[in-house]
Amino acid sequence: MKKIYLHPLPIRIWHWINAGAFIVLIVTGAQIRFSNVMHLFSFETAVKIHSWTGFILIANYFIWFLYYLLTLKIKIYIPPLNHPIEFLKKSIQQAKFYGFGIMVGDHNPHHSTPDHKFNPMQQVSYLMIMALLIPLQLITGLLLWDPKLFSPFVNLVGGIQIVDIVHVLLWIFFSAFIIVHFYLATLGHTTFAHIIAMFSGYEEEEEEEAQGEHGH
Amino acid sequence: MGDRKNIAIVLFFVFMIFPLYASTANVLSDEAKVCLTCHSHREMYKILENKEVLPLYIDKDEFANSVHSSIGCNGCHTGYLAAHVQKKKQIKNKKEYSVNASRVCSMCHPDDQLKKIPIHSSVITKAVCVECHGSHNIKKMAEWKKGITEIQYCLTCHRHALSMALSSGEALSLSINESAYKSSVHGSLLCSSCHTGFSTTKHPVRTFKNKKEYSALATKSCSMCHSDEQLRKSPVHSSLLAKAACVECHGSHSIKGIAAQKASAPETQYCLSCHKGKLSMSFKSGESVSVFVDDLSLRSSVHGKLRCTECHAEFSKSKHPVRVFKDRRDYSITISDMCGRCHSDANTKYGGSIHLSLLKSGNLTAPACTDCHGFHSVTKAGKDLGLASCNKCHSDMKNSYEASVHNRARMQGKKDAPVCSSCHHAHDVQSTKMTAGIKDACLACHKNALDTHKKWLYNPPITLQSFSELHFNTVACAACHAPDAGRGIYLNLYDRKTGKPYPEEELLKLLETDTTGLKSKIDINNDGSIDSAEAWNLFQYLFTKGVITYFIGKMDVSNATEAHQIADKTKAVKDCGVCHNPDSPFFKNVFIVIRKADGRPIVLNAKQEVLGKTLKSVYTILPLRKFYVLGSTNQKLFDILFIIALIGGIAVPIGHISLRIITSPLRSLRRMGKGGKKK
Repeated sequence: MKKIYLHPLPIRIWHWINAGAFIVLIVTGAQIRFSNVMHLFSFETAVKIHSWTGFILIANYFIWFLYYLLTLKIKIYIPPLNHPIEFLKKSIQQAKFYGFGIMVGDHNPHHSTPDHKFNPMQQVSYLMIMALLIPLQLITGLLLWDPKLFSPFVNLVGGIQIVDIVHVLLWIFFSAFIIVHFYLATLGHTTFAHIIAMFSGYEEEEEEEAQGEHGH
Repeated sequence: MGDRKNIAIVLFFVFMIFPLYASTANVLSDEAKVCLTCHSHREMYKILENKEVLPLYIDKDEFANSVHSSIGCNGCHTGYLAAHVQKKKQIKNKKEYSVNASRVCSMCHPDDQLKKIPIHSSVITKAVCVECHGSHNIKKMAEWKKGITEIQYCLTCHRHALSMALSSGEALSLSINESAYKSSVHGSLLCSSCHTGFSTTKHPVRTFKNKKEYSALATKSCSMCHSDEQLRKSPVHSSLLAKAACVECHGSHSIKGIAAQKASAPETQYCLSCHKGKLSMSFKSGESVSVFVDDLSLRSSVHGKLRCTECHAEFSKSKHPVRVFKDRRDYSITISDMCGRCHSDANTKYGGSIHLSLLKSGNLTAPACTDCHGFHSVTKAGKDLGLASCNKCHSDMKNSYEASVHNRARMQGKKDAPVCSSCHHAHDVQSTKMTAGIKDACLACHKNALDTHKKWLYNPPITLQSFSELHFNTVACAACHAPDAGRGIYLNLYDRKTGKPYPEEELLKLLETDTTGLKSKIDINNDGSIDSAEAWNLFQYLFTKGVITYFIGKMDVSNATEAHQIADKTKAVKDCGVCHNPDSPFFKNVFIVIRKADGRPIVLNAKQEVLGKTLKSVYTILPLRKFYVLGSTNQKLFDILFIIALIGGIAVPIGHISLRIITSPLRSLRRMGKGGKKK
């Protein structure tokens, strides 16, 4: 077994804060929306937790953003647009692995290295999530946090209802995503391999047959 | 000892002087001669208790020629000689003396006898004999009449304070000021010229129901000389002829003539010479209004020092246009226009008020100036004026206001305690249905309201005023502070182009209908309530006509009466969850509000689904794109999507795990090199 240092400390810190915050926000978001049937907190408490956590998430986003930008490692999120056919083939290969290969004992076609951390499917989805969906969720959350203060921006997108719909649709997406994400994290060479790696930073890989299925 | 001395002096004086006097007045009784010894001196008088001077002088010649000359003084002044020598008689005033003196008359002239003369019977209880007949100079009636003119004859009685009791209970004065009469334009006429039924030999006794009846009769006398035809030449006479009696304006016995009256009377007095009477003005509608002006209340009003023409500019001593008004309301409104000449500020404010808008739109119960301030008895406007005036129309607000914390503060004497005008303004009264104005009124007193609310109404981690402001802009103060009131969500239709409410007038043009048809044009299925699809239809229709609209929703109390019952702040709604809850009762009553150009709302019922709650609510996402309340206006569609996403999110791992479990033998075989493909 060889160990690859895949997750630098700032990214590990960011990841776990992000994970915790997301769960808290999804749950308090549900409490805010369904206060007639959900009674984990009062509406007021749910809003307070949601707002505090939202700001933590915004600050946390900047840890990720600054780290990857300053170290220029942001490129690991960028699909190789100069080789689209090859990228597409790899993507199909990766999808076939999750859908079929994994059942029959195939090895993960992707081998994570610090410079190629994500498989093609991860690359596309995490690029979308980190560059578009999370910023959109943070911005819409900020607008909803004080619609009066941010009224010029709220009006720019049509109105508070539109802002809310974007926020709610992303909440729905992230709710489903986080379950799938957690499941995928268990698909390492052992159930907890990826999860431990996200604490230690080191991803274990078999010497002869690398099995890094899920780099992040 | 003192009395004896006085008696001795009087007797000495009488017996010493009497023989000299007795020789000059043989017709008089000896007794009278004795009395006249003193009472023939002009210096004889008595100061009465009320300081009046009662002459005790008796003209002996007149007495000697009177019908009572043969009666000794004691015949009338029974026992007086002894009495007034022994002690001074105390007399309060002349009237009392006259009354007592007249009682003496009845010793010889009993009431039964007097009542045979009709006029006596009507005055017998009111007048005293001596007032009309005199005392020591009474002659035989026939002889007396020969020597005097008719006017003197009449004034003999009528110069005194006589009055006639009318059936209505009123007292009609019959007193005539002799000098005023003589200097009047009618001073040279005989009394009987006007009072045709009367003469020195005739004095019929008449009864009248009231002064009006008497005045009407008097007017007939005037018309003997002043014909209707002649009077109608004056326009104001022409309008008054059928209603007013001449004497009400011109007076009766002291008429000086219009020219003299105009020259001598100040303007206000001139006007009041007619308007102090119970005059009224008739309108085309058949209604009438009193144009009586109470001099006293006019003088004590804030306009007491103004001349009439400062308000009634089109009138003067020489001009009195006759105006024609449609009805009483038309008159009030026109009259109110005058106020603006001086009170331009109030008038400008009133110009923008809901009251004037209502008036202009034909609601004749809406108030003009005079409805609140009155006509001539305008008092300095204070808090009480507002309460009394507003309650005339808005009496339904009275009870809830009186139960409010505001009224309690007022009753405790707190000077700043608000009354109606404190919040709604006195002149620029606005429709309060979700206007910013009413909120401003609250904040005018509760200046720290934003800061106070900011202490608990904030969004962490930063406490910003804008968060409280957001609530202030959307929720009427009363919605939280009148805890027993019903609430509603009012969705105001706005025009994106102007950023202001889309005026009903424009909407009616596009919908090709009028105000009465507006509701059925929007509520297409005519079920009395606008649903999501109908709201969308309106939005879409306007969009196709080039008008992009949106609804701005606000929360207000749904009953204006309850809105006034502001409770103590400890009872105000403070729990966020009361509103921000899918089941919040505050979001059950929904209304669509179309505003007229002047701001007046037309409120149409809408279904709760317009806000969210059902799948059909997706229709209103775009129309209501600027209105969303956390937790209260959820779109059902997204709730369903959330559930599907959760189920999907869980189903994917379960499905995948299941497949992995099912296929695990394959992987085992492969690992053991017994089948499966090798990589």
